[in-house]
Amino acid sequence: MTPPEQPKSSDGRRGFIVKTIALICGGFSLLIPAAIGVVAFLNPLRQKSTGGDFIKLASLEVLPEDGTPRKFPVVADRTDAWNRFPDEPIGAVFLRRTAENKVEALQVVCPHAGCSVVYEASAGEKTGKFFCPCHAASFGLGGERLDKTSPSPRDMDSLDVEVRNNTEVWVKFQNFQSGAAKKIVQT
Amino acid sequence: MKTLLNWLDQRTGLVTVAQTCLNRPVPGGASWFKVWPCTIAFTFCVQAITGFFLWMYYSPGAQTAWESVYFLQHEVIGGWLLRAVHHYSAQTLLVLIGIYLVQQIIIGAYRAPREFVFWATVLMGLVTFALLLTGDLLAWDQNSYACTQVRTKFLTLLPMVGGEFYKLAIGGPAFGHLTLTRFVALHIGLFGGGFLLLLVLHHVAVYRADTAKSKSAEKSTPLWPDQIMRNTVARLVVMVVILLLALQHGVSADHAGVALGSPADLDPSNYYAAARPEWAFLGLYEFSHLFPGELAILPIFCIPGLLVCVALAMPLLGRCRAGHYFNVAFTVVILVGITVLSFRSVAKDRADADHQIAIADEIAQADRVRQLARSPEGIPATGALTLLRNDPLTQGPKLFKQHCAICHDHLDAQQKGIKAEESSAPNLFGFADRKWIAGLLDPKQINGPGYFGNTAFKGGDMAEFIEEMLADLDEDEQKDIEKLVMALSAEAHLRSQRELDAKHAEARQGRQLLLDDYGCTDCHKFHDKGKLGHGTDLTGYGSRQWLVGIIANPAHKRFYGKENDRMPAYAKDILSDRDIALLVDWLRGQWYVEGLGIGD
Ligand code: FES
Repeated sequence: MTPPEQPKSSDGRRGFIVKTIALICGGFSLLIPAAIGVVAFLNPLRQKSTGGDFIKLASLEVLPEDGTPRKFPVVADRTDAWNRFPDEPIGAVFLRRTAENKVEALQVVCPHAGCSVVYEASAGEKTGKFFCPCHAASFGLGGERLDKTSPSPRDMDSLDVEVRNNTEVWVKFQNFQSGAAKKIVQT
Repeated sequence: MKTLLNWLDQRTGLVTVAQTCLNRPVPGGASWFKVWPCTIAFTFCVQAITGFFLWMYYSPGAQTAWESVYFLQHEVIGGWLLRAVHHYSAQTLLVLIGIYLVQQIIIGAYRAPREFVFWATVLMGLVTFALLLTGDLLAWDQNSYACTQVRTKFLTLLPMVGGEFYKLAIGGPAFGHLTLTRFVALHIGLFGGGFLLLLVLHHVAVYRADTAKSKSAEKSTPLWPDQIMRNTVARLVVMVVILLLALQHGVSADHAGVALGSPADLDPSNYYAAARPEWAFLGLYEFSHLFPGELAILPIFCIPGLLVCVALAMPLLGRCRAGHYFNVAFTVVILVGITVLSFRSVAKDRADADHQIAIADEIAQADRVRQLARSPEGIPATGALTLLRNDPLTQGPKLFKQHCAICHDHLDAQQKGIKAEESSAPNLFGFADRKWIAGLLDPKQINGPGYFGNTAFKGGDMAEFIEEMLADLDEDEQKDIEKLVMALSAEAHLRSQRELDAKHAEARQGRQLLLDDYGCTDCHKFHDKGKLGHGTDLTGYGSRQWLVGIIANPAHKRFYGKENDRMPAYAKDILSDRDIALLVDWLRGQWYVEGLGIGD
């Protein structure tokens, strides 16, 4: 069997030059369109996800004094490639009062695989807990994992909160990568 | 390595196939004249590669097609180049097939045993036309929409089945989402796939014919490496040509690559009159004009169909010497004919002033929509066309021409702009700005054609007042009038005068002059002073609200009341509130400007 690089005709130096030219030209001619396509293909890597800004979510009075969490939608402008949608729901946050003037915020997105966590006010017990219906992870009110072996690799994701003018609750809304043991901000 | 190849070959036979292809005999030896099939296959490869990546960005839909192409062209790095390479490689493909065909005809290479090589090439040419036609629409801009509209309408020329064919082609009774989904499927699946099949058929036919011939030919060399070297060099040259074509308009400007027009507007009143097919179809386009309308089926279907039949019959005709000469002569006549007709079409358009204006308007509109799409509001879900429809700069002149330019001019100092059919009302260019008001209060101008000259107010109370009281002013009085003009013009809150209006001291003096010294409020209302009923209300004169009011109903007591000349009340049945607002915003210069926004 003769590999294509060593045919019987065109031997010697001339043959070598001819073959080299053929390989170089053939390679380059195909490389050019492929490279242009791949550059366009990689464009999504340049695009940033929204979030990271403080958003006003609620006023302090609507949060129960006893520390029961409440879920609030996050409404902001959303960009989808060429379209811009003003004021759309882009996520949700649990807010919970921990002291007169202190508020804690938790992402509703489960750190395991991204389902939406719900709050369950359990009868009898004093406080309820957070529960993820997808793979049955439970979290305490502070977002800590309650199961002995939790499907979730980390506690629920807390968000930065600021209480402004003593009444407005502002939250720095961010999404985090699911599945990782550490909190990694999605960019 | 060797064992690996052996194993691969044993299982699949691929190595043997590759070797057979590389070592296949080239009768007559390697030659630069034999590079065409390879360049055609290569250019199709470029089409397939770039098309695949374009596909990732394309969103077929009446409100997303143009938008997704816009996004690719302007927001994706290198997106414009991807589009341009795809576009120009299609053109190149057509040219290469043309060259290859003509060469086959001239040297008589279509004769037995190469009939199938020739037929496959002819069919590849036809499929390339189909690729161009279906691909053209996908950008969904004004030109491609208008061209495709016309082309598909031709289907209705077909007897009996015309209407049905039309509906089948565009996916329904009218253009829309389904036209685009259909054209994508045809473009990629049917014609892209079809071309690939023909290419394979062509190469198999070449292989068979060459192998048969090499047995008898005295000299033949293997394909690798001599012929392949020539082929790949030719391929690189083709690629460089495509790149040069793609780069001809530079790399950074908005117009790099292939220009994207303004989004397709299905509203027939916005039909793009200057739409022209691509160069490859110009000959046919011009040819069709040689026939009267009732016979359009001849140049569109019958004659081209006949020509294709003759082309397909060439291998059979060419069996005798006379037939071959006929084939060559026929080809020359067709090529010359197409060239002459194409140039004639271009020359006609060049000489047609209306055509040039329509093109310039469309370019301006494409620029405008790009600015709007880049604005912070971006493209709404209803598509980019909404941006143009809500844009005072785009809609204002159209509305003005249709409804106001019967009487009103809109001409700047150089007399450029919109000329009235019969100028018989004030020129509204720069309405209520300082210059306009100064002219109104100028005894020399008030009874001229720019103001009251051709109206019922010529020589009326206001004109009389100006001619008597404002003529032959001394320097101080002139200064006073200037201040009065400032005060009144500030009522309009024009964006163009925002900085000027901010200087309060002089305007405040002007207000006082208006109220006291010149007694304007004897006839006019101005804020708290004066009454409505005689002169027009000067409160907020020229402001958005004031203009909306006067256009809605000039006979309202706030404006001309019973003395209204001929101006109709537009709010009643003539213009919608939205149109009036667009017109007013345009008159006041209140449109989106890059970097400035819309203003208040
Ligand atoms: S996603 Fe929440 S537990 Fe799996």
